[in-house]
Order: sequence, then structure tokens, then C-alpha cells
Amino acid sequence: MIDHESLRIGVYVCHCGSNIAGALDVEELTRFAEGLPGVALSRHYKYMCSDPGQELVKRDIVEHRLNRIVVAACSPNLHEPTFRRAAEDAGLNRFLVQMCNIREQVAWVTEDKADALTKAEAHLAGAVRRVAGHEPLQRQFVRIVPRALVVGGGIAGIQAALTLADAGHKVVLVEREPSIGGHMAMFDKTFPTLDCAACILTPKMTSVKLHPNIKLLTYSTVESVEGSVGNYRVKIRRKPRYIDEDLCVGCMQCIDGCVFTQAKFSNAFDQGLGLRKPVYLPFPQAVPPVPVVDPEVCLQIARGKCKQSCVEACGERNAFKFDQQEEIEEYNVGAIIVATGFKAFDPSVIEYYGYGKYPNVYTSLEVERLLNAGGPTGGKLVLRDGSTPKRVGIVHCVGSRDANYHPYCSRVCCMYALKLAHLVREKTGAEVTNCYIDIRTPGKGFEEFYNRVQNEGVQFIRGKVADITPAAGNGDSPHLPERPSGCLAQMGTVPFSGGLVMQVDDTLLGSIRKVEVDMVILAVALEAQADAGDVRRTFGISCSTEGFFLEKHPKLAPVNTANDGVMVAGACQGAKDIPDTVAQADAAAAKAMVLIDSGQIELEPNTAWVDEEMCSGCKTCISLCPYQAITPDEERKIAVIDQALCKGCGTCVAACPSGAAKQHLFGDEQVNEELEGLMNYV
Amino acid sequence: MATVQTSKGADLLERLGKNGDGKPPLGCMQCGLCAASCPLGQAMEFPPRKLILQAESGNLEKVLASPSLWMCVACYACSKRCPRGIELADVLWPALRDAAMQQGIQPPAELQETFQNIFKYGNTLGRSPRQRMDWTKDLDVRVLDLSKETRPVEVLLLVGCYPSYYPRNQVVARAFARLLTQLGITWGVLGAQEKAIGECDRMFGEEGLFETLVEANRKLLDKQDFRKLVVLDPHAFRALQKYYPRFGVWYPVQHYTTFLAERLEQLKPLIAKPVEAAVTYHDNCCAGRRCGYFDPPRNLLQLVPGVKLVEMACNRDNALCCGGGGGGMWLDAHIVAQGGQRLSDQRVAQAAETGAEILAVSCPYELARFEDAVKVAGLEGRLKVRDIIEVLAECMDLGERNA
Repeated sequence: MIDHESLRIGVYVCHCGSNIAGALDVEELTRFAEGLPGVALSRHYKYMCSDPGQELVKRDIVEHRLNRIVVAACSPNLHEPTFRRAAEDAGLNRFLVQMCNIREQVAWVTEDKADALTKAEAHLAGAVRRVAGHEPLQRQFVRIVPRALVVGGGIAGIQAALTLADAGHKVVLVEREPSIGGHMAMFDKTFPTLDCAACILTPKMTSVKLHPNIKLLTYSTVESVEGSVGNYRVKIRRKPRYIDEDLCVGCMQCIDGCVFTQAKFSNAFDQGLGLRKPVYLPFPQAVPPVPVVDPEVCLQIARGKCKQSCVEACGERNAFKFDQQEEIEEYNVGAIIVATGFKAFDPSVIEYYGYGKYPNVYTSLEVERLLNAGGPTGGKLVLRDGSTPKRVGIVHCVGSRDANYHPYCSRVCCMYALKLAHLVREKTGAEVTNCYIDIRTPGKGFEEFYNRVQNEGVQFIRGKVADITPAAGNGDSPHLPERPSGCLAQMGTVPFSGGLVMQVDDTLLGSIRKVEVDMVILAVALEAQADAGDVRRTFGISCSTEGFFLEKHPKLAPVNTANDGVMVAGACQGAKDIPDTVAQADAAAAKAMVLIDSGQIELEPNTAWVDEEMCSGCKTCISLCPYQAITPDEERKIAVIDQALCKGCGTCVAACPSGAAKQHLFGDEQVNEELEGLMNYV
Repeated sequence: MATVQTSKGADLLERLGKNGDGKPPLGCMQCGLCAASCPLGQAMEFPPRKLILQAESGNLEKVLASPSLWMCVACYACSKRCPRGIELADVLWPALRDAAMQQGIQPPAELQETFQNIFKYGNTLGRSPRQRMDWTKDLDVRVLDLSKETRPVEVLLLVGCYPSYYPRNQVVARAFARLLTQLGITWGVLGAQEKAIGECDRMFGEEGLFETLVEANRKLLDKQDFRKLVVLDPHAFRALQKYYPRFGVWYPVQHYTTFLAERLEQLKPLIAKPVEAAVTYHDNCCAGRRCGYFDPPRNLLQLVPGVKLVEMACNRDNALCCGGGGGGMWLDAHIVAQGGQRLSDQRVAQAAETGAEILAVSCPYELARFEDAVKVAGLEGRLKVRDIIEVLAECMDLGERNA
């Protein structure tokens, strides 16, 4: 029950510069607060969050014996901790402070000054009546598991894992594919310095493999995550490779020994342009250097009948395990870094670009593989018929900056298109024409690189390519019956290898042009992974409208998420290049360390608790709790809520038939009082 | 503070796109995808991109006075592809044409005549409303004339101007009448009362005439008791589906291809004989690119035994327009005078490339346009132009008895 007699509430209205004071009359609001029940004093000040502002509150608590504080200012997300701490410094329990958000919820969203005042008064009346019912609470802490989980073994995950591990932290790194490396491992060179991607990436990959603090789980996915910040229980599904990672020495004899003498299956790592055997290593520098068996096409696994020459080649190492099954492993971790990367946009949905229809229309990622010395052509840029292109067109913004596909700019395409233009010219001497809407080069050394590529003679047309069609009189059939599964197998047999025409409005020249080329490279967008929605749910984080994971604050908390123990890094958070990805990965690692090194974490005070005298032990709440925080005490016939697991969602409170489940800071009295205060002024 | 002077053109652009008609043209980023996608873009002084650029830069008068303002044939290629979601064909062109006419700039004479015809007679051909039912003369099935007796029907068939009056299209209407009857559907027509739906007026910026037709058709249709409207003209489908509701006028409506494609099982037993031919289908712009109905017409053709469906290189979303939409039916001379090519000629060449013997269509304009183009190309006897209804009628023995 509220003891109205002894209430001495102090109300503080913040101007927030002109953010609030410019939108409503703060003096009038202060006078209004004076008249509210229990208010002992009311003040307004330019910046309540400043040191003098906080000092004001502290002094008043002592001098005026205040026992409740209401701060009408910004969102509690920003300064609730500030004022809780101030109150505590002055000897008041920190939970006797209530924030009243008159900035985001009133000043910024209300145009009329009089309306804003009325609305602010209603909010303030609600806050004052609510705080009257607040009770002093104890702060609660839990220990943090000193281990981090990094999900995704691209450059983001690799960097985050190494930074954590180098700082002495235990890391579990999970990668879905057979090898870490991600997209960066597919690239030939990196812009703008043209370092060879493998040369700078593979040392890091090897470090991951050798690091004593890193447990590397490739060919694995996160199945489920339970618990909360500081204490997560993670189940990891490990797909069978059919080769024992501990026994295999990476000699690759099995691949030579496979009964398939020719590689004939599409290698996904080569974007389907190269071929592999049923037992394969996705690329030469793969980490771990352990081959993987494709159960769909391996004769032994698919049909149970094979002379197993691979096993013979493996010899006494005996690494083959055809009976390997999927396994679930469990780990406890304190912090999680999600670094699941991006997916390259599939341009076949843009029919007018003819991808999948005209063989010599390629995606940028395919061309990366063709240019890469480790790729299917050994680094030779060739057309489907094996010849070298003399004229190459590069189409920018394919799937990016387009309301029909992705409205956002993918940020990296201009630079990688310029890089490809340079490499194509360097390797083939071909005439290269870039068709762009805008060239965006806002990075260190980027504009200089653009200028360099211009001076190398690459052509630029400002306009978005409208149609790609076969040039007149080039062969019988402009169509492919279906997309070939491997370019090597198809070379020379593809009926159509003639020229293509790009139709484009040269908007600077003011005329529509037809540009004939031998090869078209589509600079495809970066988009969220196809299963980003599932990943989001697994880790309890959010996605923005375009499907990338949402950071907690776009400017001030760029690697944190709404889930306190989960950080994001790299292109899963939004399209970005390698330097930005690495920087973000280090930031995420730092944030994970902040968490882990603090050793313990303060729990939110708004947890639920059970009034033992009222609980009948009906167990209704137990199955409803989404965090498995409630267990039955069979002896005393009551429900017990684990304060460390409770997230304060209030489900049990609403469901309890006898009203025994209650919630700190969200008692009936507190909520009802707030509502009544609010409604009286609406 | 200095005030920024906005031009009349910019004001006009700002007004557009404010009532759910795509995104505002002021968001154009001048990428030129529209211009290079436009089948007549190369012949236009101001293709869509330049329309916006010039209007925004205060050169609205120049744009309105240009003959290229009257060259858009509403194929929707620009609208469909615009990366900023601007409804160029549906919104921008009609608004600019409307602005031009309000300033007293006359559209090409052929088109004015068509407007006059609609205004005076309620049809584009300038024929008497009394002759609306001529297509049913000697027809071997009964056609219920709802203007004479109002009865509840499942389908109210809006025959459209060309199928009502133009002999080549009358054949299609008659075959469709037989098909509906065979399917056991109760159906009727508005007879002498039927009026043009007015899509071409709207697309041509004759908003006033369009409103008059909406009102007239609302009065006519409100009196009738029907489950759905079926139209032979995809332009009418588009207008009834998208623009009539603007005026609070909405009826369930289907283009005949979708209507029939929902009844494949009922159609199957009617098949009497195969039609042995390689057939290529031309997607009309309204039902196809604009509304996304690509499969129903193909499903109908594939129902016919003997038909070997072959696709032109540009099909579905990328199909080349016949040049007849948005008033284009009456603009060939104007477009050619501006250095444009007849799109129907180009399309027929594409059809011929497939080796098809039949070019199947599903829009009344296309029969006339393509048959003429076939003659121009000297492909008579090698490439026949047939409405899908005619192909169905042939395999179901529902064609003209004396033909």
C-alpha cells in the first residue's frame, strides 16, 4: 500500500537543450507537477543529465528529504542508469527513480506546442503516481560464463575469434561450410590495394586452426540457444563429413584415390563453374584441411556399393568413417557474436539481364572465381567456349538501389566493379565498359583507385543498363536449354558464344546506346542470408526491413543487439567491405570482452516473484514461461522462479489464476496508478 | 532565408504519386533505365527520364510542346522496371498530357477523332450504338441482351468496341459466345447500351472523358445482377480493376484468359480435335506485364492437343508491346513521323524467328495490328495471327460454320 502521507517526490523536467524546451512549455510543465499529489518539489533544468543536473537531484534528496524521483526527459534506455546512480549516491534506493519520456514520446512526435504540453502532463502525472508505489529493491548479479561463441567463419568471425582468443578468452567458432574463409576466400584480389585475398586471409585461417583458445567446429550449425546474457546453453549440430577430423592428416590421397577418376560434380565454392569429386576439399587452402564426402553422390554412402579405393588410399590412418552420424554438442557460453555474412543476389530474377539464359552473362562472384588462380580455370578469364573476351561490360547496381529488389546501396559493388574492371584489363587487355548510376567511392584510397582505373582506359557510361540481348547474327540459338553445371565441362559445347548487346541510356550524352560486348559481368547486390530469419529467432535478435540483423543503436551501439549478450559483426548486419567488417568484428570482440571480463552481470530488477502464501502450486505458469525460469517445488507445492533466468516478460503474472505471481516494478498498484494518472489528463 | 523557386514542372511532379500511384517522380535518380527500356525511347525527344529532368528543371513548356509527348503506348516497361518505383506510364504520362491539353496543345488529329467518337457514340470506331449487337447476327447460340430484359447472370460479358463492330474481332466474340454457352454458364451482354470502358482516354490524359464513361458505366452496371464481369479487352480489365475503384466503382472483373484458365477441367471434355501447330504467344501489356498474368493464356494454349508452344526471345515481363495501348492504336502515323518504328512490325519479326505458325494473342487490338504487320513483312500464309479463343474454338469445333 502506498503511504501517501510520507511521500516526498521530486520532479525534474529536462529541457534537453531545445529538444524538449523547443517543443513544449517546460516551465508550465514544472508548475503542473507541483500540483500533483505527493510532489514535494519540482524543477526544470537545461540538461538534467549533466553533472550540475545530477548534483541538483543529489542535493535535493538530502536537503529536502526526497524519497522518490521522477525525471521527465529522454528515453529510459539512455539515462535511467544515470539517475538511478545519482539517487544511490545520495542515499536513496536506486529503484525509487522513474523516468518519464517526454522527448521521444512527446517532443519529437508532436507538432503543436499546446498539444505537446497536455501530452507531457499526462505522461508526468502517470509517472508521479507510479513512482509512489515503487519499493526499494536489491540489485542482483549473476556470474558470466567466460567463453564466447562466434557464429560464422568468414573474415568477420575469424577476426572476432582471433581477437578474443589472443586476449586469452576461450572461443567456440562455428562454421556451416566444410571450411572457414567465407566469401573472402573466393575473391582474387581485394580493393583498393589489390592485395591477394588468399595471401592476407589464409594466415588468419591457419591461426584459427592452431590457436589453443579456439575450438573450431566446421560443417556445423547452431541448433538452439537457451538462457540469457552471461549464461547461454548452446546446442550445435555437427554434420557428418564421413572423415574423422582427428585422424585425417590432410594428405588428400583419398581424393586422388576416389573411384571417380574425373571430377564431375558441381563445386559450390566455385559458384558451380568448377567440378569436384564425391570426396573433395572445397579449395586448396581450406581450413581444416580435411576433405568432406558428399553423401548424395558418394557410391559407398548413396548405394552402399563401392570398392572404396579412397579408404585404401587413406591406408593405416583409417580416417574414413562411413557410418558417421549427425551429432549434437552442447556448450555454455557467456557472450555470442553473430557473423553469418551475406548472400550474393541471384540476378536470374531480373529477366532483362538474361542471366541463366545467355551463357556469357556472369555474376561478379563467378568472375572472382574465374580470375582466381585457385579457381576452375586456374585464373584465366575465359568465355564458355574457352576463348578470351575482347569486350567486357560491367553492369552496376544489379539488385541494389532498386525498389523492385533491394532499395539500399550495397556499398561495395562500385569498388569491386572497378577492381574487376582493372583485373579484366590486366589479364586480357579487353575493352571494359562500366555502366553505372553513380560511382560511390567513399573510403580510404577508393577515389584514387577509381581515378587509376579511369586512366587505365576503362570506359564509363552513366546509365542503368536496360536490356542485354544477343548481338545480331551470332549463331543459331541464343538460348541455353538450362544452366550448365560446370563451365569446364561445357566449354566448346555451348552453342551460343557470340556477342551480347547492352542497351543503356547514356544519361550524360543524352542518347540511348547499344554497346556490343563478349561478356557481361553483373555487379550483384549483397543481401541478407536466406535463413537470416531463422538465425534471428535462434539468437533472439531483430532484423531490419531489408533482412540484415539490427544493431541496438545505429550510431552509438553498432555491434550490440537488443539481446544484451549477442553482438553482430560483418555483412550480416548490413552490406560492408572487408576493412569495415574487420573493424566491426574487433568491436564485437571488444564488447564480448567487456561482458565476459566484468565477471558478473546485473540482472534487470523487473523480474517476477511468487507470493508463496498465495501460490496453490497449479503449475500453470511453468509451461508458459518462455525462458524455463520457473520450476515446481513439489514439497512445498509452490512455483519457484529463478531470478537469473527470468527476463521479466510478465507472462506468468498475467496467467496466474490466484494472483500469486508478481513482478517487481510492475505490480498491479504501480501499473494501475500509472494508467490512472495518464488517463486523467487525456 | 532565401526561398527556393520551384518551377511549375516541379510542382506538377510533386503532386503526382501522392495517392498511392507509385512513388513520387521527384525521387527519380536519372538512371535512364526507363528510357533505355522504352521500345520507342530512341525515337523520342523526351523519353521518360528526360520528361522528369526537363519538367523538374523548369522546362515544362518544352516537354508539353514536344511531339514525343504523344508517343507513349502504355506498355509499362518503364513503370515495371523503375528502380525508384515511379508509375511512369500510369501516372506521369497521363498527367503531362492532361497538362498539355489544358494549355490548348492539341494531340495528333487521329486521336482527337477517336475521342470524338467515344464522346458522341460511346465507342472508338464512331459507329452507331444500335449496331452494337451486329456481331450476334445469325449466331447459333442465344445471346441474352440484358438491356432488354434484366435477369440474374453469372457472367456479364463486356464485349468491347472492336469485337462488337470490327469484323475480324467479331469472329472472336462469336466463338467466345459459343464457348460460354458450351460451358453451361449463364451470361448476358449490355447490348446497345454497352459503352467503351475508357482506358485509352485515361492513358491519354483525357481524364474528363474517362470520368464521364466511369459514371455512365456505373449507372448501367449497377442496374444489372451479375457475379462477375468478363472482358475480352485487357485494357478494359486494367481500367476496371485499377481506375474505376478510384471513383468508388468496383465490380469483380476478369480478363477472359484468367476466367477460362480457371476452368481447364470443364474445357477438357469439349476438345474435339488437335490443332497441329507451333504456336507462340504474345503477352499483352495490361494483363501481362502490368498485372502479372503470364500463365493463364499459356495454360489455355497448352490444353490444346497438337499445340507446340514456343517462346519468343522476349516474353512475359520482357515482351515487346504491339504498340496499340494507351491510344497507340491510332498513333502509328504520328510515331512513324517522329522516326519511330511500328512495334507490331518488330514483334511479328520476333514471332517469325521462333518458327511458329500461329502467333496467339489475347487482346482485340493485336489481331488487326499483327495481321497488318504480317502482310507488311510478307509472311502471309506462313504466320497466322489468332486469338486464343480462336485456337480453342478450332479444337472444340466452335468456329464459324461457314468459314
